Amino acid sequence: MTTSTSSQSLWQRVTAPLSSGPAAYGFLALYVLACSVLLLTNPRTELSTDIVFVLFMLSMLVAYRSRVAGWFKVVLGVVALGVVLPYFGTLNPFYIDVATQAGIFTALALGLNVVVGFAGLLDLGYVAFFAVGAYAWGIFSTPQISEINPAWGPVDPVMFYPFLIIGLILGLITGVLLGLPVLRLRGDYLAIVTLGFGEVIRVVANNLDRPINITNGSQGIRAIERPPLIIVDQIRNLGIVADDNRLYQLFFYYLVLIIVLLTVIVVARLKHSRIGRAWEAIREDEVAAVAQGIPRVRMKLMAFAIGASFAGVMGVVFASKQLFINPPTFDLLRSINILAMVILGGMGSIPGAMLGAIIVTMLDLQILPRIAAVLREAQAAGAPIPRQFDPTQYQRLLFGLLLVVMMIFRPEGLWPDERRREEQHEVEIADEELEADKAAK
Amino acid sequence: MALLEATNITKIFGGLVAVNDVTFTVEPGSIVSVIGPNGAGKTTFFNVLTGIYKPDKGRVVFAGQDITGWRSDQIAALGMRRTFQNIRLFGNMTVLENVLIGMHVHLHASIWSIIFRGRTMVREEAKARNKALELLSFVGIADKRDELAKNLPYGDQRRLEIARAMAGDPKIILLDEPTAGMNPHETAEATQLIRRLRDERGITVILIEHDMRLVMSISERISVLDYGSKIAEGDVQAIRTNPRVIEAYLGKGAAGQAA
Amino acid sequence: MAVDATVAPTTARRSLGEVLGVVFGPVGQLLAFIVGSAASLSLIVVVLALILSPAQPDMMQRVLIILPQVIIDGLVRGFLFATIALGYTMVYGVLEFINFAHGEIFMIGGVVGATVSFLLVSAGTLESVPPLVFVLLVILVAMAFCGILAVTVERIAYRPLRNAPRLVPLISAIGMSLILQDLARLVMTSTPLGFNARYQTPNFGQPIQLFTMEVGERSVPVILIPRDLIFIVAATIMLVVLNYVVNATKLGKAIRATAQDMPTASLMGIDVNRIIALTFLIGGALGGAAGALFGLRIGTVNPYMGLIPGLKAFTAAVLGGIGNITGAMVGGVVLGFLEAFVAAYLSIFTAGNFSGAAYADVAAFSILILLLIFRPSGLLGEATTQKV
Repeated sequence: MTTSTSSQSLWQRVTAPLSSGPAAYGFLALYVLACSVLLLTNPRTELSTDIVFVLFMLSMLVAYRSRVAGWFKVVLGVVALGVVLPYFGTLNPFYIDVATQAGIFTALALGLNVVVGFAGLLDLGYVAFFAVGAYAWGIFSTPQISEINPAWGPVDPVMFYPFLIIGLILGLITGVLLGLPVLRLRGDYLAIVTLGFGEVIRVVANNLDRPINITNGSQGIRAIERPPLIIVDQIRNLGIVADDNRLYQLFFYYLVLIIVLLTVIVVARLKHSRIGRAWEAIREDEVAAVAQGIPRVRMKLMAFAIGASFAGVMGVVFASKQLFINPPTFDLLRSINILAMVILGGMGSIPGAMLGAIIVTMLDLQILPRIAAVLREAQAAGAPIPRQFDPTQYQRLLFGLLLVVMMIFRPEGLWPDERRREEQHEVEIADEELEADKAAK
Repeated sequence: MALLEATNITKIFGGLVAVNDVTFTVEPGSIVSVIGPNGAGKTTFFNVLTGIYKPDKGRVVFAGQDITGWRSDQIAALGMRRTFQNIRLFGNMTVLENVLIGMHVHLHASIWSIIFRGRTMVREEAKARNKALELLSFVGIADKRDELAKNLPYGDQRRLEIARAMAGDPKIILLDEPTAGMNPHETAEATQLIRRLRDERGITVILIEHDMRLVMSISERISVLDYGSKIAEGDVQAIRTNPRVIEAYLGKGAAGQAA
Repeated sequence: MAVDATVAPTTARRSLGEVLGVVFGPVGQLLAFIVGSAASLSLIVVVLALILSPAQPDMMQRVLIILPQVIIDGLVRGFLFATIALGYTMVYGVLEFINFAHGEIFMIGGVVGATVSFLLVSAGTLESVPPLVFVLLVILVAMAFCGILAVTVERIAYRPLRNAPRLVPLISAIGMSLILQDLARLVMTSTPLGFNARYQTPNFGQPIQLFTMEVGERSVPVILIPRDLIFIVAATIMLVVLNYVVNATKLGKAIRATAQDMPTASLMGIDVNRIIALTFLIGGALGGAAGALFGLRIGTVNPYMGLIPGLKAFTAAVLGGIGNITGAMVGGVVLGFLEAFVAAYLSIFTAGNFSGAAYADVAAFSILILLLIFRPSGLLGEATTQKV
C-alpha cells in the first residue's frame, strides 16, 4: 500500500487516531449512538432531520473505512441498519422510503458497476433490463395478463419470491441477447447502441398495447401485487399495531437490505476471482488480455449478463414496491442517473458505487426538494431568483455538471478502488491448508 | 515433427505487402531468431502467428493443429505466448496479478464456486498464487509482487512480461525485441533469462531482435526478413556470411567489401 | 537520413475543372444514393401492395396516393440527418470521439432561430421583412451562435480530456448534453419563449403544385410546401459549400491531414488545436443551421428535441462510414428515406396495428445495431485494421 507520510494533510492527522486503535471503537460507537438518539427523538421531516439522516448514513461508511475488527463493523451495521433505521421508519415513513429507494439504486449501481467499472463497457441502456423485470412482475401479477390471453389469470402474490429468480433469469437472457451481437463493437459504439436499445425498449413498452395489449401502453400497469406478509400475524400477536402500508414499508426495506447484502458479496467475490481479473485486464488492454488467452467476447458477455440480471431482480422488487409502472419510469435519464452514481463513487469500486447510489438518491429525494423549499422561502422574502427555477426540476443540469466535473477533475471518483490486504489474508489461510495437505501425503 | 510450421504466409495492408510468402519452421526445444531491418515485417509476422492478424495467404500449424484463422485467445490457450515490442503490461494491476492473468486458461473455478467461495476455488487460487510467485522468483522479481506493474523499472517490466507469458505453461514463447532499450549489463541478464527459459523449462523461443551480439550468441537458427520476404535462413555462421543479409543491413556495395 | 530541403511546393493551382470535379463528385454520389434509395423503397412498397391487393383491393391506390409526399418527406428528413451527421462525422474523423452533445447543438440552433423570430415579432417588423431575408437571418444567427457554442463546449469539456481513456471524454460529452438541455429549458421557461417555443414566420406563400398524378379515377395534386423547399435548398447549398471547403481548400486539406494522423500533422506545422476548434465550429454551425431549418419547418422547438434526431444522425454517420464526409450525407438521406417509408407505410401494411410513427425510431435503431454488427465500416467506409 502506498503510504506517503510526508504529505499527510491536516484532515488525515485528525482522523488517523479515530480510525484505528481503541479510540476508533469508542468514536464509532458514540457517533452511531448520537445519530440514532437524535433521529429517534426528532422524527419530524425537516432540515435538521435531513442532516442527521445523512450523517447517520455516513456513519456506515466511516465504520467501513476505519480499522476496527470485522465483528465490530458487523455489529454496528446490524444495529444501525437492522434496528435503528427501521424503527425510525415506523416513526417517519418518509425516511424509510428514502432508505429503501437508496437500497434499490445501490443494487442497480453495483450491477452497472460490474459492466462499466469492472469490464469497462459503457452501458447507457441499463434501465432496459430493470424495465424487463418490472414489466414481468407487473404483467403477471395483475389482470393485465388476461389481456394477452383471456384464459390466463394473474399469478398468486406469493409467486413474488420465485419471480425474483425469474426476473434474474429474464435480465440475464435479455443481456445475453443484446450483448451477443454488440459486444464485439468498440467501446463508444457500444454506448450508443445500448442507448438506442434502451430507447427501443421504452418505445416498445409505450406501443405494445396494440395489436395485443401486452404492456398497456402509455397508461402503464396499475395495482401491481405485493407479496403476502409472512409473519404479519406473529407481529400482530406481539401487540404491535401497524397498518399494512407500514408493514410493507418495513418488509421492502428488509428485502432490499438483504438483496443489497447478497449483491455486495457476489460482486466482491467476482471482483477478486479469475473472472474479475480477466475483466480488469480487458479493460486495461484488450490486445494484451487476449494474448493471455482470455476470451474477450465471452468475458464481456458475462459482465453484461451479470449486470443485467441484477437489474432484472430489482425490477421485480421495484414494480411490487411502487405498485405502478409506466414507460417514462424507464427513460434515458434513469440510466444516466445510475451511471452518475457509479461515476461519482468511482468506476470499479464497490464501496464507491454504494456511496454514489446513496448520495444521488438522497440528492434526488431529500436534498434537492429541501433546497427548492429554501429557495422558495428566499423568493418570498424578495430574493432575485427566477420563479421558474425549481432545483428538483433541474436534475439533468445537476447530473450533467456532475459528470463533466468528475471527468475533468476526479475521473477516479470519490471513493476510488483500492487494493486491499484482506484477500492477502485469505490466501495465507489457504496456503496453510495446502501445506497441511502436502504433509498428509 | 516441427512444433510450429508457417507456410507461405502473406499479409497485405491496403497496397502494402507487409509479409510476403514467408515459410518458417521451428523445431521443439530450439531458440530461433527473426531478424531484419526496421519495417521488414517481423512484428507483423508475429501478429499473424499469434492470431492478431489473419493471414491473407498461407497456413500456420502449431503443435499438430492447423491454427490458421484462429482467434488470439484460442492460440494463446493452445500454448503459444508472446511479449510485445512496446511492453503491454496491465499497469494498474499488481505484479502478481499480471502473472495470474497469464494463468487464466488454467483456472477453471465456475461462477458458482466463485460466488459461494467453494473449497476448490480457494485452493485453485492459492495454488495459482504459489505458482505465480515461483515464476516471479524465476525471473527474479518476487520481492516486487505487490507493486503496481506500471511502477516497475523498465528492465523489470520486461521480466514481468516474460513471467506472464510463462504463466500459461506455453510450449513456445515469442519475444518481440526483449532487450530493446537495455544497457549491455541488462542485455546480458536478459540473454541469460532467455537461455534458462529453454534449458530449465524446455520452452521453445522465437526471438525478434536487433542486438546482433545477442542474436548470434543465443540462436540456433536465424531467419532474415527484408521488405516482407524471407531472404535467408540458416545457422549463425551461414547468416553471418550471407551476402544478401549483409546487403540488406548495410546497403549495396557493402557485401562485396565484407566478402 | 538526408532530407532534401529544396523540394519546391509542387501544388500548382488546380484548374477550375478539377475543383468542380472534387466538389461535385461527392454531390453526384449523393444524388445517386437519393435516386437509388427512393426508387428501391418505392419499388418495395409497390411490390408489397401488389402482394396484399387481392385481400384489400384499394391497397395499391392508398399506397400510390401518398408516395410522392413520402418521397419529399424522406428527402427533407434525409437532409436533416445529413446536416447533423456532418458534425458527428467531422469530429469523429479528427478526434475519434462521439460528440454526444451535438444533438443539443442542433436543438439550440432551433431555439436561437425561434428567438430571432420572436425578437422580430416583438419589434413588430416581422411582416415587413422579406421571407428570404428572414430565412437567411434565422439560419445565419443560429449558425454563428451554435458554431461558437460548439467551440466553447470543446474548450471546456473535451480539450482537458484529450489524452484520457476513451470513455472519459464520452462521459463528459453525455454530461454536457444534459447541461445544455436544462440550460436551454431554464432560459426558455424564464423568458416569454416558453417550453415550446413557436416559430412565427412571414408568409412564405402558397404551396407549389408540382404536377398532378392520376391514380385510378382520382387525380391527386403533388405539392411542395415552401417550408420544405426552403429546407431542401438551404441544406443543398450548405452541403455543396462544405464539400468545397473540405475537398478544395487549404483549410480542408489541413483538416483531412489532422484526421489522418494528428502527431504528424502537428509536425508539419499544422496547429492541431486550431483545426480541432475549426472542426467543432463548422460542425456546430451546420448543426445550428439544421436546428433552425427544422424549427422553421415544424413550427415549434423544445429543449428536449435534440436527443432523438441526434441519435439518428449519428446512425446516419455510421451508416455512411463514420469519419467520411460524403458518407455522412449519403447515410443521412438513406436513413431519411427509410424512416419516411416506415412511418408512412407500416400502419397501412399492418392494418393500423403498428403505429408507423412510433416504430420509425425502432427501425432507425435496429438499422444501427444491424449495421454495426454486419458492416461497421458503413456504406462508404473502408475496413480499418486495429493498430497493435
